[in-house]
Amino acid sequence: MTHGSNAFDPIRLQVVRSALSAATEEMAAALRRSAYSTNVKTRQDFSCAILDSRLRVVAQAFTQPVHLGSFVELIPRAIRFYGLENMGPGDMILVNDPYSGGTHLNDVTLIAPVYYPPDGEMGEPVAYLATLAHHVDVGGGAPASLGAFQEIYQEGVIIPPVKMVVAGEIDHDIFTLVLAQIRSKRETTGDFRAQVSANLIGNRRLASLFDRYGLDEIMFYMDELLEYTARRTRAEIAGLPKGTYKAEGFLDSDGFTDKVVKLVIEVRIDDDGVFFDTTGSDPQRRAPVNSTYAMTFSGCAYGLRALLDKDLPVNDGFYRYMNVTAPPGTVTHAVHPAPVVGGWETEDRLNDLIFKALSEAVPERVPAGTKAMQCQMGFGVIDPVDREYKCSYEALAGGYGGRATLDGPDAVQAHGQNTENAPIEETEAKHPVRINRYELVENSDGPGKHRGGLGLRRDYMFPDVEARFTILADREISGPWGLFGGKAGKKAYYILNPDGEARELGSKLTLDLMPGDVVSYQTCGGGGYGPPFERSPELVLRDVREGKVSPERACTEYGVVVDTDNWTVDEAGTEALRLTYAES
Amino acid sequence: MATDSYRLGVDVGGTFTDGVLINESTGEVRITKVPSTPDDPSRAFLEATGRILREAAVDPKQVSYVVHGTTVATNAIIEGKVARTGFLTTEGFRDMLEIARQIRPSLYDLQFEKPAPLVPRYLCFGIPERLDARGAVVTELDEENARQAAITLREEGVEAVAVCLLHSYANPDHERRIGEILREELPDAAISISSDIVPEFREYFRASTTVINASIRPIIGRYLDSIEERLRADGLGAELLVMQSNGGVYNFEAASERPVYMVESGPAAGVIAAAYVGEAIGHRNVLSLDMGGTTAKAALIQDGTPRITKDYEVGAKASADTGSGRGSGYPIRTPVIDLVEIGAGGGSIAWVDSGGVLRVGPQSAGAAPGPASYGNGGTDATITDANLVLGRLNPDYFLGGELPLQPELAEEAVLKNCAEPLGLNLLEAANGVVEIANSAMVNAIRLISVQRGYDPRDFVLVAFGGAGPVHAAKLAMETEVPLTIIPMSPGITSAMGLLVTDLKHENSMTRIRRIDECDPAEIESVLDDLEERGRNSLVREGVRGSDMSFERHADVRYVGQSYELGVSLPPGHLDAATLTGVSDAFHVEHERAYGHKALEEPVELVNLRVMALGAIARPSLREVGAGNGSDGAVKETRKVYFAESGGLIDCRVYDRYRLGEGDTIEGPAIVEEVDSTTVIHPGTAANVDRFGNLLIS
Repeated sequence: MTHGSNAFDPIRLQVVRSALSAATEEMAAALRRSAYSTNVKTRQDFSCAILDSRLRVVAQAFTQPVHLGSFVELIPRAIRFYGLENMGPGDMILVNDPYSGGTHLNDVTLIAPVYYPPDGEMGEPVAYLATLAHHVDVGGGAPASLGAFQEIYQEGVIIPPVKMVVAGEIDHDIFTLVLAQIRSKRETTGDFRAQVSANLIGNRRLASLFDRYGLDEIMFYMDELLEYTARRTRAEIAGLPKGTYKAEGFLDSDGFTDKVVKLVIEVRIDDDGVFFDTTGSDPQRRAPVNSTYAMTFSGCAYGLRALLDKDLPVNDGFYRYMNVTAPPGTVTHAVHPAPVVGGWETEDRLNDLIFKALSEAVPERVPAGTKAMQCQMGFGVIDPVDREYKCSYEALAGGYGGRATLDGPDAVQAHGQNTENAPIEETEAKHPVRINRYELVENSDGPGKHRGGLGLRRDYMFPDVEARFTILADREISGPWGLFGGKAGKKAYYILNPDGEARELGSKLTLDLMPGDVVSYQTCGGGGYGPPFERSPELVLRDVREGKVSPERACTEYGVVVDTDNWTVDEAGTEALRLTYAES
Repeated sequence: MATDSYRLGVDVGGTFTDGVLINESTGEVRITKVPSTPDDPSRAFLEATGRILREAAVDPKQVSYVVHGTTVATNAIIEGKVARTGFLTTEGFRDMLEIARQIRPSLYDLQFEKPAPLVPRYLCFGIPERLDARGAVVTELDEENARQAAITLREEGVEAVAVCLLHSYANPDHERRIGEILREELPDAAISISSDIVPEFREYFRASTTVINASIRPIIGRYLDSIEERLRADGLGAELLVMQSNGGVYNFEAASERPVYMVESGPAAGVIAAAYVGEAIGHRNVLSLDMGGTTAKAALIQDGTPRITKDYEVGAKASADTGSGRGSGYPIRTPVIDLVEIGAGGGSIAWVDSGGVLRVGPQSAGAAPGPASYGNGGTDATITDANLVLGRLNPDYFLGGELPLQPELAEEAVLKNCAEPLGLNLLEAANGVVEIANSAMVNAIRLISVQRGYDPRDFVLVAFGGAGPVHAAKLAMETEVPLTIIPMSPGITSAMGLLVTDLKHENSMTRIRRIDECDPAEIESVLDDLEERGRNSLVREGVRGSDMSFERHADVRYVGQSYELGVSLPPGHLDAATLTGVSDAFHVEHERAYGHKALEEPVELVNLRVMALGAIARPSLREVGAGNGSDGAVKETRKVYFAESGGLIDCRVYDRYRLGEGDTIEGPAIVEEVDSTTVIHPGTAANVDRFGNLLIS
């Protein structure tokens, strides 16, 4: 079938759009269900995508928006690096190299070129499929490949684009070599197989679409889908207030020195799109906080995407109207051989800063400061029962920022990160660890007319084994900022043996724990939005009644007197108190 | 006639309460419809019951079973109208319900909210005690502390208490002791213990299930009690049963104790009916499609049994960005028939988005104002309007003529909302609306089949609901399903499902054990225990031993994996060889579902389940007589649009009630009956079987 310009059928376009999105969902379901690790299966730390023959993302199923930019940067570079001429049907390329367009080493991507017809004369690929999974361990200096190192070579196995699957079969030599670098071999093996399986399913699904509609027709509509998305993106951006908005902030430490890490973001909105610029951010560190360009791009993409219509597809058409300038050699665009494992901490904070910058332009749409860190935990133990080296990884939630009309939710992931918690019973059944507490941190709210959410506490103990344990987080000095008169949320604490000889730890370190040692995460609360004295006394009463805010704090921070015998607001007392504060 | 016995089904939906009465020996069916009464659903229930018995001149004493399908439980949860409930857990984990899964239900929505916990934080208490993952006691239960919590809850006036301690699936002792203390201190409260409700690991999901159960028990209990009291007063002595989410039924007493098993009672009935329709003519692999006014629901039946899921959220919203709405509702881990539900029903609205593309749903015009053609002031173009424009629906015979449709209003709506913005003509636009709705349903069918590892070509499609038969034949073509079955009276198929199922009680327990290392005797004893529990439930329901059967299943995975697959266990004595067979079956199932297996990897048991079944005799389906050739059933000829024929073509319209066994209809054709319309596309043909089913291939 041939098509002139504008000859697209809007009905067929919608049909193809939903078929492509269903195909990526099918890939995601296959990956999720057959994966081994809690991180992929339960915490859903993965993404899947379909790219067209020109290596443009056309459809994406992702549970983690941080992966948004990964594919855009990584896949075209990986394919060009490997060379089209070196690939054939059933081959798949494995890559995790941060300096080939990747993110941190744990995020391992498997790319499959799609040929059609599958048994016909081999031409160039007509499409590509990709799956990215955060593997719980990829070797390196500490279990879960999480730690404060000084160069990339300490962080784990670096995989440049290599052919790991040859004509549908896993290459034994390469796989064995990679696996030899990795601690948790059983989970990793299972997760790799799940990635292969997801790509196979995507391939089958695309082939059936080609069979059904014809290759040219689908390729035509892939193009049209991108044009459609671009049109809508452009229209949406036209509705944003034009101007240049700027914000700066800091990570509290880099993991090697106590020097704060300065981050700067400028957001320019004009007729041609939205331009992000991180110029002015600190030079990269010999410490884990460096973000790769792909990570920074992801953060900016999330920032923009969250301001546009929720129904908008995310594909190449969306990316056309955004541009990210991140000077090489800064913490927002690390160059070889900087370590990058904690780059997501930087990316998350950039995201918060984007919303802070835009609070001037669209105050009703953005939250006050959120957790805005990945807040990662990793440990490894030799299991005394089966002598296997087992690793565990998870990322903890914190308070979300208050919004113009809503409180910030308690204990929730923020921005590009939306990973679930690992069930305690599943974790304890798999690992010789005991989780002693998992609860909200009372009084950690950032006071505001709409308060910030509470942080959470999770305590890890290893009753009868030694463990190597890593914290890779932030916020040990400053809590998330408030907006428009709201105050900052409580900062985070990382404490060794909180109920014994308590010692406050930094936010980025690896320690060897003795049996019985406890590491306690107490994550930050979200920032408040609007003056706390304008908060509805009834909402303060509810918070006090629920034990989230103490009666004293209700007085000092919100100017509300609660009668805790009858659970009512002391209205006279509240009025008097608020008046006193207003006068002082 | 007076000696005939009857079964009565009552399905309380959001808008209407349907009653269906079937004569157990002749299969004759009678239906009634009354408006639902959401403030007190039992009123509509009783009105429907009274009316249908009156109209059929059936004495209440002739009714042998009453089966109830209801959304009362779901509505209570969604609307937050649950009983005041307390929650007790292990010390240090009081906020399990508040933290939930720590995720946002919508990825890009900066104004998101987490669902509010069903128990406020001040009614949640952590009790000192601790078990490890094997069930060994790490910290003894502090009974005094538990008693204090119970006293506080009493003072707070709770009506229900849920208890979920860490690792109680492995050892229920502490939970049971707390249960005793609660019963001493709160003798009138509904107490639910997680190890009774669903003793499976993953604490938040077990806790959520238990909290839902506890918090709706007082509500469901009162509701069922009031119905029972009134029915008994009317002289009805029949067994009173409720449809569960898994498609089985249980009696009012069991339902009052474990109402969490009935949250998806309504949709389950339709799937059971589809299985029954297929089974009656020898098809045990069925895809079921139920398309009503606001949504379409697809389900899969393999070898006569609907696919069950335990990954379900009550009140979850479909979200625009992931399609899953994960984290927007309240998870339960009790068995629910696996349904893919999408916003494509007769009332779904077609619109053109800002990128110039035609979209359908998920917004619905609902019952009021309804589609534009209803003439109730609706101006949006809906799927029903599009079908009317295409000539597929008969404006004078919608609901048998009870609701005359106004074609000019449908045309205007489609023109204004779809055709003009897209630069298409009226028919192209209307066809586009139908095509897009079809593509969404095709995806739903693929999700329930292909994504779960099943090939639609091995199934037949049973389509029902008022709108299902209009679209079904096309969907079958798109998904390569070889045969489509349209049962008689598709509008009441769903309610029929209430009357054709068995008593079911599922009991399960987590036992994480490597298959090559576990003790078969231990597994067998757990299975025996679960079977005993099910048997006791059936005995309480008055089931004879000869009508009981038990199915055993295990959830199995590779060691280290985090997701299980169900494998059935053979009956009888269990030994090492049986367990090896389980491993083998798991490898096969894993390959079917995910396309690969790992024979060298060790396999472990996770959950053991026993389904106790109490057989209820099936009523026979009513047979239609032999046909006299379809020509005699032709009502008229009208123009109907078929894209594959290039536009409007003359099409014969048949009266379904005049068709008989053996009649054949060549497409293109339309078959009309009171509650639905079947579209038979060019190039396909329909045969009428002895039950009056239209078999389209």
